[in-house]
Amino acid sequence: MQFGIFFEISVPRPFTDGIEKQVYDNCLEQVRLADELGFDYVWAVEHHFLEEYSHCPAPELFLTACAMVTKKIRVGHGIVVCVPQFNHPIRAAERAAVLDILSGGRLEFGTGRSATWTELGGFEADPDETKKTWDEYVRAIPKMWTQERFSWRGRAFSTPERAVIPKPVQSPHPPMWVAVSSPGTELDAADRGLGSLGISFAGFEEQERKIAEYRRRIQHCEPVGAFVNDRVHTVNFLYCHENVDRGIKTGLRLSGTFGYLNSNLLVARESYPTRSYPSLGLIAVARQDQAGPGDPSKVPEGLAIGDPDRITHAIQRWESAGVDGINFLLNMAETVPQQEVLDSLRLFAKEVVPQFKRERVASR
Amino acid sequence: VPIWGTLDVAPLLKAAPDVTELAQEPVVYEGAEVLQLMYEIDVYEDLLPKALHPTLPPTATIIFWKTHEFTAAMLRVGCRAGIRPRGFVTGAFVDDADAARMLASRWGLRSDIADVRLERTYHRIDATVPGVLSCASVDPEPISGGDLLYVANMHLARVGGAPRLVQVDPEYAFHKVDRGRPEVTTFDAAALGEPRVNLVYPMSASWTQCDLTLPRVRYICDPDVPALQGTEKIG
Repeated sequence: MQFGIFFEISVPRPFTDGIEKQVYDNCLEQVRLADELGFDYVWAVEHHFLEEYSHCPAPELFLTACAMVTKKIRVGHGIVVCVPQFNHPIRAAERAAVLDILSGGRLEFGTGRSATWTELGGFEADPDETKKTWDEYVRAIPKMWTQERFSWRGRAFSTPERAVIPKPVQSPHPPMWVAVSSPGTELDAADRGLGSLGISFAGFEEQERKIAEYRRRIQHCEPVGAFVNDRVHTVNFLYCHENVDRGIKTGLRLSGTFGYLNSNLLVARESYPTRSYPSLGLIAVARQDQAGPGDPSKVPEGLAIGDPDRITHAIQRWESAGVDGINFLLNMAETVPQQEVLDSLRLFAKEVVPQFKRERVASR
Repeated sequence: VPIWGTLDVAPLLKAAPDVTELAQEPVVYEGAEVLQLMYEIDVYEDLLPKALHPTLPPTATIIFWKTHEFTAAMLRVGCRAGIRPRGFVTGAFVDDADAARMLASRWGLRSDIADVRLERTYHRIDATVPGVLSCASVDPEPISGGDLLYVANMHLARVGGAPRLVQVDPEYAFHKVDRGRPEVTTFDAAALGEPRVNLVYPMSASWTQCDLTLPRVRYICDPDVPALQGTEKIG
């Protein structure tokens, strides 16, 4: 089992002078500590216009800063939006290559297409087109990295022959992933030989079923890159405290803040009827009971909140479901004080992580 | 802290209907038609009661229901009740007085009487409220009912004498669905209950022929308390 941290870079209102810098500084401090504690990944999203929820429109810059202050932790785009109005594919490939160089070959390249009208509408992107442009990007970008010169005639973009430089440090290129929230995207990932970067909080049974199908299909994939990345990661919240009740209470505050801020966003499906967006995306997390007010005291299945024992049990369940890695959201809108976030990371690394590392050593 | 609605509902309560008996049984309108146009607007929290909060960006939807018994038009401001998507109805028109009374007394929908029309041709679906609203879904193309997501209404009313938002979440059994381009040529926001609604950016238009079910009322909430705290389950 591998562990990562996952940043939305959520900034609380009111947007006072210096608040965004404070949040970025806090995130960098968390990354430094995670690196020291042996976490495997730091992921950062690309989001635009999502007030409070995510002030992270330029993850490549944040991840470069992460790489500069760390030694081992791998830096992950979680994800690059593969829609022309957001990112030209050549610019995405160039920026990723530079980040791979500056990080010393530590880049993980996640891909996706945005799920909100807030963003798609803001860039006047056509929701019907995003799956198609994503598919084109994931086929073109590895060629840009591996071919001395590259040309392309496509639906999303075209270019005459050019040298797309620099090339990544990792050979043949960084591992590629796709963010999975809509049903069926895990199959798109499998068919293309891409890692499945789960960004929805579905329960064990559903994840287990999806992972099994992913594993079956990726055996017969036609990889879009030069190699197959068959890892399956999921996302979770993390708050670890010696006192289980306090851990759960703070963890629920964290997940509740996430759900609340997420609910403000206009998901594509709500705004623009299209078969391109069959799910509510991350909002499904927050809306387990669509009809009623729900039970705020209930701990959703599998959340990594509570004391080390409770969290260990939850992670064992994820491991048995077939997950290779879990990436943790540590904070939203600074609802957890920075010192508590750092203490939670330390306790998790001390009490929980060794159990999974030991099991891995034993299994070898 | 997310932004919250700031609308003082007290002045609106003068015209809000008295719900004499919350709908206890669903009413099914077979072969109904529904038209929805969605626009971005440029006002955030000021249009919503304190129980609700706006979406980012804020939106308004224009909705027509055409059944064999009545045709209705309404304007809604997009919002969230807690974490759930909803539309706060600012005003409505119904073409039949009996239907208007029923919608008011059972589901809390305040409306005025007008000659509301919804007409479908091959290349557009036109909908009108004379002098108030003229709009259309232009160049409709068939899509699947599974691609549609219509969210529940919140109607400001008095229930047992107390101000309440009545949640009405219609169910739709889709027979045909089209998606088109929204077009609005006449829009009297004041007549539709909220003069500050300004349709600034078109998003989508959809039309469906469906069996429309107005359900029994399951939730009401205090308009002046955040919905997570102020929601009351009925029955």
